[in-house]
Amino acid sequence: MDNVLINRANVPAAQTWNRLRANSLSVTVPNHADAGKVYLPLPRLFERIECGMGQEVTDYVESQAFKSDFYNVPARTKRDEPIVVAVSAAQNQCANTGIIVREGAEATVVIAAFAGDVDGDAPTGSDANDDALPTSAALTRIVVEAGAKLHLIEMLGVNEGQQHLESVGLEIHQDAAVDVKQYALGGSTIGLGLTANLVGAQARLDLNNRYHATHEETLDINHLVRMRGTSTRALLTESGVLNEAAKKTLRATIDLVRGAKDAQGNEIETVMILGDDVVNKTMPAILCDEDDVAGNHGATIGSVSPEQLDYLAARGLSHQAAEQMFIRALFEDAIINAPEEISHRVAVERCEAELGAEIAHDYDGSAASDDAAGNSLAASDGRNSDAEADSSKGGVA
Amino acid sequence: MSEKKRSEVADVDRSLYDFTKSEEGYERYDDGLTPEIVRAISKKKEEPEWMLQMRLSALETYHQRQMATNWGPSIAGLDLNHISTYVSPKTQQANSWDDVPEDIRDTFDRLGIPQAEAESLAGVGAQYDSEIVYHNMREEVAEQGVIYTTIEDALHDPQWEPVVKEYFGKLIPPSDHKFAALHYAVWSGGSFVYVPKNVTLDYPLQSYFRLNAQGAGQFEHTLIIVEEGADLHFIEGCSAPKYYAANLHAGAVELFVKDGARLRYSTIENWSKNMYNLNTKRAIIGSNAKMEWVSGSFGSHVSYLYPSTIMNGDSSNCEFTGITFAGATQDLDTGCKVIINGSNNSANVDTKSISKDGGVNTFRSTVTVGRKAENARVAFSCQSLMLDNISRSDTIPEMDVRNATAQIGHEATIGRISDDTVLYLMSRGCSEAEARTMVVNGFANPVSKELPMEYAVEMNNLIKLEMEGAIG
Repeated sequence: MDNVLINRANVPAAQTWNRLRANSLSVTVPNHADAGKVYLPLPRLFERIECGMGQEVTDYVESQAFKSDFYNVPARTKRDEPIVVAVSAAQNQCANTGIIVREGAEATVVIAAFAGDVDGDAPTGSDANDDALPTSAALTRIVVEAGAKLHLIEMLGVNEGQQHLESVGLEIHQDAAVDVKQYALGGSTIGLGLTANLVGAQARLDLNNRYHATHEETLDINHLVRMRGTSTRALLTESGVLNEAAKKTLRATIDLVRGAKDAQGNEIETVMILGDDVVNKTMPAILCDEDDVAGNHGATIGSVSPEQLDYLAARGLSHQAAEQMFIRALFEDAIINAPEEISHRVAVERCEAELGAEIAHDYDGSAASDDAAGNSLAASDGRNSDAEADSSKGGVA
Repeated sequence: MSEKKRSEVADVDRSLYDFTKSEEGYERYDDGLTPEIVRAISKKKEEPEWMLQMRLSALETYHQRQMATNWGPSIAGLDLNHISTYVSPKTQQANSWDDVPEDIRDTFDRLGIPQAEAESLAGVGAQYDSEIVYHNMREEVAEQGVIYTTIEDALHDPQWEPVVKEYFGKLIPPSDHKFAALHYAVWSGGSFVYVPKNVTLDYPLQSYFRLNAQGAGQFEHTLIIVEEGADLHFIEGCSAPKYYAANLHAGAVELFVKDGARLRYSTIENWSKNMYNLNTKRAIIGSNAKMEWVSGSFGSHVSYLYPSTIMNGDSSNCEFTGITFAGATQDLDTGCKVIINGSNNSANVDTKSISKDGGVNTFRSTVTVGRKAENARVAFSCQSLMLDNISRSDTIPEMDVRNATAQIGHEATIGRISDDTVLYLMSRGCSEAEARTMVVNGFANPVSKELPMEYAVEMNNLIKLEMEGAIG
């Protein structure tokens, strides 16, 4: 089976010198498209939604996920159960999901990418072709109508030797509010793109991205916020820890579109570099086509300062323990903020892989017994059951 | 929502620069770019063979290389088939203004160059189209062993020809990009400066580049070597009258700052709005050295300009202070690059940009901290002011950090004049117009204070921050 070369993913809205090799992500992924199947698309309205990783990834997911999932959250309702999109890298699962959160409604969406076990029937990328690693992918497009609220949690943690592509598109209407928590917790290559179009007045996006990359992992992020409505607000907070020979590229763009009067966009990044062979690239762009706006960016890149280490040493923490404390805080945050079982287990399993079982299960009293019962993600395909996924579908299933 | 009031800032006043002189009797090569033209330029300058071969090789590179299509302003209006790469007035280089032809002397008089030379400069070079027409340096400076001449003259001096050969094109190779290759194919004029070890110049040297010809290019090359412990301030000014035919400026500036040396390189660029300014500037500095860039970009139709500093030594410092003013029909893509490879280096970048009347400003930068660059400290500040809602201002920085001991801080802001600030100043007794004037002046002040007095005055004239009250 052929591989697919995704040549230019995560291309930012404004590019820079090509010699810096920061303008895009190139990644080879397995191709499991089946010419004999009927591919079921989402309603066409989702075609207008721009997704963070770009058209090549959209095309790839649509060519691999023969089934798409459409969810409708009715107006002025609060959906208590989160909508869960879960994909396994070992099984090369791809999910194509469209969600409409109707006017005044409230919903929580969880996207979880996990390692998983190889399904006996499912071809793996590595089996199919040595060049392409097993890869999961989630394409999620969400319309948040006027006055609606969306809580989006992305918990991404696959194993070394696996890849995940995460492409999100948000359309946020008047007075709607979206908060996003992204956790990138490991994987040979994690491509993570999110585009938010704040089309309505007073639309709001709060994005909090936390990441940890180590070994020779590649983490490639593209965040784009297009501020089109008046008095829109966006706050992008990015922070992470890079260790060993991890390679991270973050492109964060605030696009203040003409007409977006009184819009305010802020982005803040804090990176802690702990490894000697880390490559940390950051491209924080502000594009401004309107004068009555404010765009701000601040970045701090560095390691734990000697003063900080001295302070911690005086309290009995070794250098290594102090650095590990920062990593632990990140994983703890992921575990605490996982709103349901699958994302919780992704966070715990990644924490266990990086920091050991003792620390991981400090926050996971039930996980140990779950694992003993063979209920870990490795033994589960992690997907919503069809019954659950279909519960509020308005169209294609 | 009620429309907020907006500051009115006058256009850059270009009347000082918008005058033309007849080209009658000038030597002007055919438009276009051919090996014959390249050979003719080299022959006219009686160059050594290595330089001719370098030109011809660069010409091939120029034809092979493509411009990137995924970033930067459009240069679709630039057609080399309609550009003459060599235009020369019929005059010899003079070292007295009295020996400069009257129309050319009048040009530089109006630009204030002879007056500045008399008052505050250690030496002056004045280029008119493709050739230097005036070059002079104070005797006491020459007695210190300082060399300030043209590249052409240095090439004809047996003492300096090997030095030019050693340094020329080494920091900015012809393969760097398409217009660097073009530069090396047809370069003409510029400056060669050599400051011996431990020599400090009390006054700056200045080169002024004037492009008078229509539909022509200027390709001067500046090569400066500041030896160990030496200290130099070099000023570069440039201007041109406005035409409707495209003009091209593709100069190259190579700066070698040795251990313990300091170089301040100040530029006020005021090309006319038909100019494509595709200039390349680069410095490499040793240990305990200091490189200071002061850059004011006000003119040109399109600019690609990113002075670069390569810090290979240890314990050195680089400072970049820049301001860009983009008005109607201008698309200015400016910024800087800092590459840190040595240990204990620091860099401070402070840039301002002002956009009005549909002008487009793009601040583009990169900071690279290499694997062995221990304890690098970099502070980046980039502020953009939008003066109306038909202009555009983009900020596109990039940071590439590969050492865990680096501390990098970066901040960027884009916006209009804060109403709160204006209100505060008005509460202290200022009129609204005075308050807004104060804010805009204060915005530009960090750059103007770094310039020599006469250039600070020129910059203020250029910006003409004449606040005419506020309108809705």
